Amino acid sequence: MAALLSEEDRKYLVDLFEKELKGEVKILFFGSKRKEECEYCDLTEQILQELAETNNKITIETHDFDETDLVKKYNIEMVPAILMLDSEGNDMRIRYYGIPSGYEFSSLIEDVIATSKKGEVDLSASTVKKLEEIKSPLKLQVFVTPTCPYCPRAVLMAHKLAMKSPNIIGEMIEANEFPDLSMQYNVSSVPHIIINEGEGEFVGALPEDAFVEQIMSVVKGV
Amino acid sequence: MPLFNLSNVSKPKETNYDVAIIGAGPGGLASAIYAGRAGLKTIVFEKSTEGGQILLTDMIEDYPGFVSISGNALAENFLNHAKTFGANFTNEEIIEADLVSKIKRLKTDLGNEYTAKTVVIATGSNPRKLGVPGEEEFMNRGVSYCAVCDGSFFKDKRVVVIGGGDSAVEEGLYMTKIAKEVTLIHRRDKLRAQKIAQERAFKSKMKFILDSVVTEIGGSKSVEYVMIRNLKTNEMTKYPTDGVFIYVGLIPNTQIFKDQVKTDENGFILTDEHMETNLEGVYAVGDVRKTPLRQIVTAASDGAIAVIDMTKYFD
Ligand SMILES: Cc1cc2nc3c(=O)[nH]c(=O)nc-3n(C[C@H](O)[C@H](O)[C@H](O)COP(=O)(O)OP(=O)(O)OC[C@H]3O[C@@H](n4cnc5c(N)ncnc54)[C@H](O)[C@@H]3O)c2cc1C
Repeated sequence: MAALLSEEDRKYLVDLFEKELKGEVKILFFGSKRKEECEYCDLTEQILQELAETNNKITIETHDFDETDLVKKYNIEMVPAILMLDSEGNDMRIRYYGIPSGYEFSSLIEDVIATSKKGEVDLSASTVKKLEEIKSPLKLQVFVTPTCPYCPRAVLMAHKLAMKSPNIIGEMIEANEFPDLSMQYNVSSVPHIIINEGEGEFVGALPEDAFVEQIMSVVKGV
Repeated sequence: MPLFNLSNVSKPKETNYDVAIIGAGPGGLASAIYAGRAGLKTIVFEKSTEGGQILLTDMIEDYPGFVSISGNALAENFLNHAKTFGANFTNEEIIEADLVSKIKRLKTDLGNEYTAKTVVIATGSNPRKLGVPGEEEFMNRGVSYCAVCDGSFFKDKRVVVIGGGDSAVEEGLYMTKIAKEVTLIHRRDKLRAQKIAQERAFKSKMKFILDSVVTEIGGSKSVEYVMIRNLKTNEMTKYPTDGVFIYVGLIPNTQIFKDQVKTDENGFILTDEHMETNLEGVYAVGDVRKTPLRQIVTAASDGAIAVIDMTKYFD
């Protein structure tokens, strides 16, 4: 199959990763043998393979949705799914459901870099303090479309919070690939963020403070 | 749209600059090109994705040099051009600014502080809300301000587009490729969009309801109808629809500056012919500015004028 990454972008990534990657990054990809159930699995796997070829610190491990033990271990809900482990095998608690294409490809790259630094991310001191108050599991689902320029900001925010707080899982969900789930949450305008499967929700790429406020109001039950 | 887009990847560096450009739409990016070429140490702040509002449109046909180019591709050209001449980029939102002091201070949402000798405000504008009952309630249930972002949720459904300017007509045309039915509702008897777009719209499957305003957006779980009032007859009609796309004008992103920088009554920043505001070393370009035309070409032009003038502070 022809390469998905242009030669220019490939070179850009080689340079960027050469400069930015600190430690190893293992990307776990979950696909499905039943192609009719996963239109974008092949394409997702291919772009990840091409990504891995840009730097030897990045490795890809491919799994099938049938591998129940692993699927359970990482709580994978649908495919294609992507998650990242740092050099010590720690799950960064970020998930991509659906292909990270369009503007979301940038999110994937930022996540690879953050994972190579063992989840070291740029968050304000006040956010870090608030995150310490989160003591029970919290799920952030960010519904996106690949053509939405505001969406990566919301995805990265959810992912940064997940990397920082051991209780948070941050998911990107490509809304077009999962129409039933999108319908369930009435997604019609993106980014649309669902907190704890509907305990809270908001639309739009809010600045860090406001984003965290939305989460805290669910945590505190107000 | 390239299948895999990398424009968003960027990393912050140091904190003191000659020029700080707030916003990476065409105005900010053109400023960055000129500033880089003038040898000024430049940083551009962008809170979402570099390109600004041009990313909200499918095709652009009125930027000189390109008969037809996607918003996305043009944005990437602008961005790469600016990077080639050395501008630094960071994905941070400016949330506080001290523009009055000689050295300007900018604070970002990540809690970082930057200083600069000069500032270009290129924060653009956001869609104006319609301000009718139901709009807030259905914000995530069928009301949208971005057809390229949300259009795919309305495949084979019925949508209305509100507005009569370029954006309404162009984005309505884009929706005719996706939705089953597109109805444009405009308060005047004629559209305001460029003639060529109007002609295309009249030839398309788009329907028109003129001399009319939407007074309410309603439904149960999601949007099911809009109430339309005919301004000539005052007749009210309940019009069924699954989606509402709103293009009724712009609100400038000037909230964080307007205590310091002079604006008109709508919040658009007042500048002299060199794009300088009432504050020395503080410039405003593009959609945020009080200007007779808000387009890519004018935003880019403003950026060029501003930066050339600004070099007087560095001689
Ligand atoms: C749907 C649509 C279609 C259009 N079609 C055309 C067309 O065909 N041809 C044409 O010439 N024009 C078109 N326009 C108009 C054109 O897009 C705008 O005039 C132009 O983008 C204005 O450029 P700008 O740089 O002033 O602002 P913007 O493009 O609005 O860019 C401002 C940037 O600043 C960022 N920002 C704002 N506040 C902050 C902050 N506090 N900190 C950091 N970053 C911030 C924003 O995220 C944004 O990226 C269209 C507009 C729309 C909405």
